[in-house]
Amino acid sequence: MPILNTIKEERDGFPEASMPKLEVKGLNIHFGGIKALNGVSFSVGENQLFGLIGPNGAGKTTVLNIINGVYRPSSGNIFLGEKDIVGLKPHQIAEMGVARTFQNIELFKNISVIDNLMLGRHQFIQSGILRGSFYLGKCLKEEMVNRDRVEEIIEFLEIEAYRKKIVRTLPYGIQKRVELGRALSMEPKILLLDEPCSGMNTEETEDMARFILDIKEEMGITLMMIEHNMEVVMDIADRICVINFGMKIAEGNPGEIQNDPKVVQAYLGED
Amino acid sequence: MTELTLPRLFEHRVKELGEDVALREKKKGLWRRISWNEYYAHVRNFCLGLKSFGLQKGDRVSILGDNCPEWLYADLAVQAAGAISVGVYPTNSYVQVKYILDHSQSKLVIVKDQEQADKVLMIKDQLPFLERMIVIDMKGLRKYDEPMMLSFHELEEIGEEVHEKSPSFFHEMTQATGSQDLAIIVYTSGTTGPPKGAMLSHKNITSVVDSFFQVLPITQADSLVSVLPLCHVAERLFSLFIPMRSGCTINFAESIDTLQADMAEISPTIFLTVPRILEKMHSAVTIKMQDAHPLKKWAYDRFLPVGQEVAERRLSKQDITLFLRVAYLLAYLFVFRPLRNRLGLLQVRECVSGAAPLSKDIMKFFHSIGLMVKEAYGSTECTGVFSVPKGDDIEIGTVGKPIPGWEYKIAGDGEILMRGPAVFEGYFRDEKATKQAKKENWLYTGDIGEFDEKGNLKITDRKKEILITASGKNIAPSEIENRLKFSPFIKEAIIIGDRRPYLAALIQIDYDNVADWAQKEGIPFTTFKNLSKNPEVYKLIQGEIDRANKELSRIESIKKFILLEKELDRDDDELTATMKVRREMIEKKYGDLIEGLYK
Repeated sequence: MPILNTIKEERDGFPEASMPKLEVKGLNIHFGGIKALNGVSFSVGENQLFGLIGPNGAGKTTVLNIINGVYRPSSGNIFLGEKDIVGLKPHQIAEMGVARTFQNIELFKNISVIDNLMLGRHQFIQSGILRGSFYLGKCLKEEMVNRDRVEEIIEFLEIEAYRKKIVRTLPYGIQKRVELGRALSMEPKILLLDEPCSGMNTEETEDMARFILDIKEEMGITLMMIEHNMEVVMDIADRICVINFGMKIAEGNPGEIQNDPKVVQAYLGED
Repeated sequence: MTELTLPRLFEHRVKELGEDVALREKKKGLWRRISWNEYYAHVRNFCLGLKSFGLQKGDRVSILGDNCPEWLYADLAVQAAGAISVGVYPTNSYVQVKYILDHSQSKLVIVKDQEQADKVLMIKDQLPFLERMIVIDMKGLRKYDEPMMLSFHELEEIGEEVHEKSPSFFHEMTQATGSQDLAIIVYTSGTTGPPKGAMLSHKNITSVVDSFFQVLPITQADSLVSVLPLCHVAERLFSLFIPMRSGCTINFAESIDTLQADMAEISPTIFLTVPRILEKMHSAVTIKMQDAHPLKKWAYDRFLPVGQEVAERRLSKQDITLFLRVAYLLAYLFVFRPLRNRLGLLQVRECVSGAAPLSKDIMKFFHSIGLMVKEAYGSTECTGVFSVPKGDDIEIGTVGKPIPGWEYKIAGDGEILMRGPAVFEGYFRDEKATKQAKKENWLYTGDIGEFDEKGNLKITDRKKEILITASGKNIAPSEIENRLKFSPFIKEAIIIGDRRPYLAALIQIDYDNVADWAQKEGIPFTTFKNLSKNPEVYKLIQGEIDRANKELSRIESIKKFILLEKELDRDDDELTATMKVRREMIEKKYGDLIEGLYK
């Protein structure tokens, strides 16, 4: 089928087709006197859907922020395949195939859905300003190839009805989907999702869960997801890591996590 | 000519039209053209693929999914192999899907996507006849470990190989189809009891197309957007049967959400619709106009009566004065043209509404904006069409004159009976029902109607839905219900009154429009239930009922009503797949509420 083929082809042509395995080792970070993360380690296997859960303020988003280079950890390593990416700039990490979505939607609100998704593909556009202003030859071809891929993503996420709409005017649930589309248009090998289902109703949540599964299965992308909706996490994640007060308290498959006394305690309190 | 079958007609069209466009499908934001030659190659390959999986003449194959070109490929391919295709509503629950696959003893099933595939997989163990499932869109399914499943594309490739080895096989097969053979089985949605499978032969289909063309000719220049479910006989008639004769173009929208915009892009010339869609368009226009710029609103309010006047004069064949002509031209330029363009109905030259009675007010509205909506009458059992108005010989409130080829009479109790080559062959595996519906080749429609002095047929109601009040007066509920539904705030109305002293109504409010109204009035609400229970909303609906009552005779007027606290739903067995109300079910379910109306 078309979607799968193109993605495969493009990925094969990728310069650094390294193993999309993510390994986090002994991560520490403190902000002033507060130790936000204390020796967190875990490893995400290829094409795995990895859930990161924990109570409010446990440090989940901080982990994502370190992985994609927004924060620099006090100590610890993050391996993307063989390469330690600690200390690289966010854009360098993005170019290595790490894309993410945010808890509070981060899109260009005053431009259309298409334009947002096309922006996600800026690393695949080589023509400069000069060529771009004449919009001829190579530049035109490049635009067509990228637009074609963006249209595939639009079809994949079923947002055809909104393609020319200004993002600001769209319902929240759709904006979330557009943000996912923006991340996908970067052709990531690893996708980090920060609360993809927050603020959604049951139907939107179910749709989102289905899209996440389809991304894993159809596109072969490795996913790491922070989510508060336990039903969703337990339902779709392959493996889950639980952190509390910056420390990892459990890791395992959904069944193990649900029965882990430490997790139950962290969520329900003492006794 | 009636000796022909659909697959043979198809071959004729392909030979004649070749590279001309047959279908259009919007994909990745662009309309992709599919020529008759490509259409043919798809049908041929798919048919040969089916053959290689052992499809035999007379076997049943079900198709389950939303409209798309593949639906048509599959349908024609099945028929070309001499097998019988069975359409299933994509909105059906897995229980209903099971009933149809089981009852039709389908050997193969073609499904559109994961949603439909999951339904079939859930019940496959209970379907002893089912051998394979063919999936059109494999998204989300590639990881399924399911030996019975294969993709549409794979099957076409297998068929292509067969074709290379024996290039004349497909043609020989289509030549072997006979006009007496069964082409399709259409399961009626059935407001009562389980669905029944009406068997339609090639002769039924070709004869109805031939007589339909004598009243409403369609040419290659025409184009249609396929909107209604293809398993319904009317949509099948327009999207599959008619193009086989006329070569017109069928268009498929990108998704249901983009339908309105896609319609506007294609601007079809023929529009087949159902009252529900027209009602929705009308209420959308009404509501939008309330929020419109004062100038726009002024123009709309001024010009709508002009359109109405012109429409009325045109229908009654009166002269249209010069002044009116000028006014209408302005109205057209400033209001009707942009409005119709927005609705995607600018180029429409024939608009046919069927499947359920259409309210006179809605019809008048569309006539006012220059869209001469026609009401057709037919049923699955008569292969779609019995009568439709010819040209501009439209009498509002009637369904026109019977099309040629029909013999007809009104029985003593008012039931419409018809006889002709398009009367169905019978219900599949249901002798008893067949005997009830078809006596000495006369089809007993179950509809009450009468012919007026001009020969136009007026449908009163379904025979079993006629109410008899306690005072012994016969009342046709659907007409009153339609009058109520004309209000943008009322989505569904069910009239109660059989063996009761007066008429009462169950009303389902139109959530979007009432919510909009409540917001403007500053009435707080949370859910549908909460909104329905609000006394202000009750007052609003009371106003609408009072207005309708003014136009009804005293005996027909509605004395009491109640607002339903939930929306009627197909999944709760309250609506049929075609969104018709299942009266019996509702009267049973809301028995207590109804009793309350008569205390």
